Amino acid sequence: MTREEIVEKVNSLLSEEFEVEAEAFTPEANVKETLSLDSLSLVDLVAIIQQTYKIKIPVSDLREIKTFNNLYDYIESHLPA
Amino acid sequence: MKYDIVVVGSGLGGLECAHILSRFGKSVLVLEKGSQPGGCIQSYRRGRMLFDTGFHYVGGLGEGQSLHAAFKSLGLLRLPWVQLDRTFDRVTIGAHTFSFHQGYDVFVEALAADFPQELDGLKSYANLLRTVEEHQLDVLNPSLSETLLPAELFEKSAFQYLEETFHDEMLINVLSGTSLKMELRRESLPLFTFLHGNSSFIESSWRLQGDGSLIAASLANDIQAYGGKVVCHAEVQELVEKDGRLVQAICADGTVYEGDLFISDVHPAVTCSWIKQSQKLRKAYRTRVSGQENTFGMLTVSLVMKPQTLKYFNYNRYVYRHPDVWTFYQKDGPVGGILMACRMPEDGEYVRQVDLLTPMRWSECEPWSDTRVGRRGDAYKEMKERRADECIALAETVVPCFREMISARYVSTPLTYRDYTSTPQGSAYGMRKDFRNPMQTVLSPRTPIPNLYLTGQNLVLHGLHGVTMTSLFTCAEIVGKERIWNMLRDEA
Repeated sequence: MTREEIVEKVNSLLSEEFEVEAEAFTPEANVKETLSLDSLSLVDLVAIIQQTYKIKIPVSDLREIKTFNNLYDYIESHLPA
Repeated sequence: MKYDIVVVGSGLGGLECAHILSRFGKSVLVLEKGSQPGGCIQSYRRGRMLFDTGFHYVGGLGEGQSLHAAFKSLGLLRLPWVQLDRTFDRVTIGAHTFSFHQGYDVFVEALAADFPQELDGLKSYANLLRTVEEHQLDVLNPSLSETLLPAELFEKSAFQYLEETFHDEMLINVLSGTSLKMELRRESLPLFTFLHGNSSFIESSWRLQGDGSLIAASLANDIQAYGGKVVCHAEVQELVEKDGRLVQAICADGTVYEGDLFISDVHPAVTCSWIKQSQKLRKAYRTRVSGQENTFGMLTVSLVMKPQTLKYFNYNRYVYRHPDVWTFYQKDGPVGGILMACRMPEDGEYVRQVDLLTPMRWSECEPWSDTRVGRRGDAYKEMKERRADECIALAETVVPCFREMISARYVSTPLTYRDYTSTPQGSAYGMRKDFRNPMQTVLSPRTPIPNLYLTGQNLVLHGLHGVTMTSLFTCAEIVGKERIWNMLRDEA
């Protein structure tokens, strides 16, 4: 899966699941703020990424994911071979 | 009339929350779709006999023990509880029977007599069980900022822990042998669930003289005495949100109930399906909740025994064909393990009612998933009667001539359970907790809608003990943990 494919799929998925227009998803935008995530819905984000990409995001890694670019990077580098 | 609290579903969790909150002076309404309150603790009548749906025994009711204060404050210690024999559970695997004793020290001693080389492991296991009991309410303790329970209990596999702690595979089977009261599954069962599901029973084990609906009736009576209301035949079909808060529950007959705060004791996926339009409940939450797997369901064989044939035994029997306690139900072939529990006789020493339970995979029920109670056809009947025969055959390995003592039998499957308790796939213990994913599989009582809370076996823990703990957690979110903590302290 190319970087572009990841970006496109993640954006459409998160837009649909969190009911936020994908135009707001700029690479440097803050994920938590853009998606209005609190401690409850942050778990939903982790669940969706896991269900879609079979990638488990531990809590310690979650803190490192701030921007959409961080999220794309994380998925790209953890995709199962 | 508008209520402070509307509770949807009158299972143990819903009734307990209603009890606690009505005692705190809230006006509380409980809505139940069935004809009686109780959910998974309701009983059902066959002939002159009442049979239990889910409940069979409970642990930790002794003074100072894990469930004592909570049950006292819920008025449930007034019920006729009878302590089981010192050897409260007996596990038979093939030709060998092992006993579980009440009291941690005796429990260890007795098993160490059968497995002397495992004494150290048994001691450390008992210590871990004690730790779980001691810290079960840490999250409510106002003087603690977080639980002192090690996080690894939630992130560790129960099976892996047993394999690391014990050398003898038979002992692992024995220690797990009483755990038909949870879903033993190597790939998912967290160590915490395993420990919590075992510890209080080892403290002390109790059986009710009567059926589980006594618990529901006692809670419902108290709720009404505190000014609350329990309405049956009220099948909620929609929860209406306005400006980001729930305002109404609409029932199938069109009746509308208004409330300031709602608690759902119904499966979270079903609860979400009732909220048609929401500003707060985004698709992501619905996806997560409906995407979670459920634990297995149970085949229950409810037996009426001929008078004066079977002497009452004041303990539970767990019987397995082979030492494959963790996997038998995943295999094809005849039933490989059962729980056998007697109803305590009202008078005399002979039993009139015995329940046999065994896990049943949903795949076995799936061909009839579109059918309703009483209209599932002959092939279904044939399947469940065959399974019942296999359970009876297994029971007969520990009680000779058991089959001849039976005068009537009634068999229910996860489908029956599904239709009476609104549990997807007739799951016996609700949503599956998974040590690989503790954060996602353990749901919070809070939801994205600020005045909708959840309770019941799907959230944190299951069973009478687990659901009661969860009710305390749910109520703590609503009235503050200090009040719940103080309520329990005053009862202790």
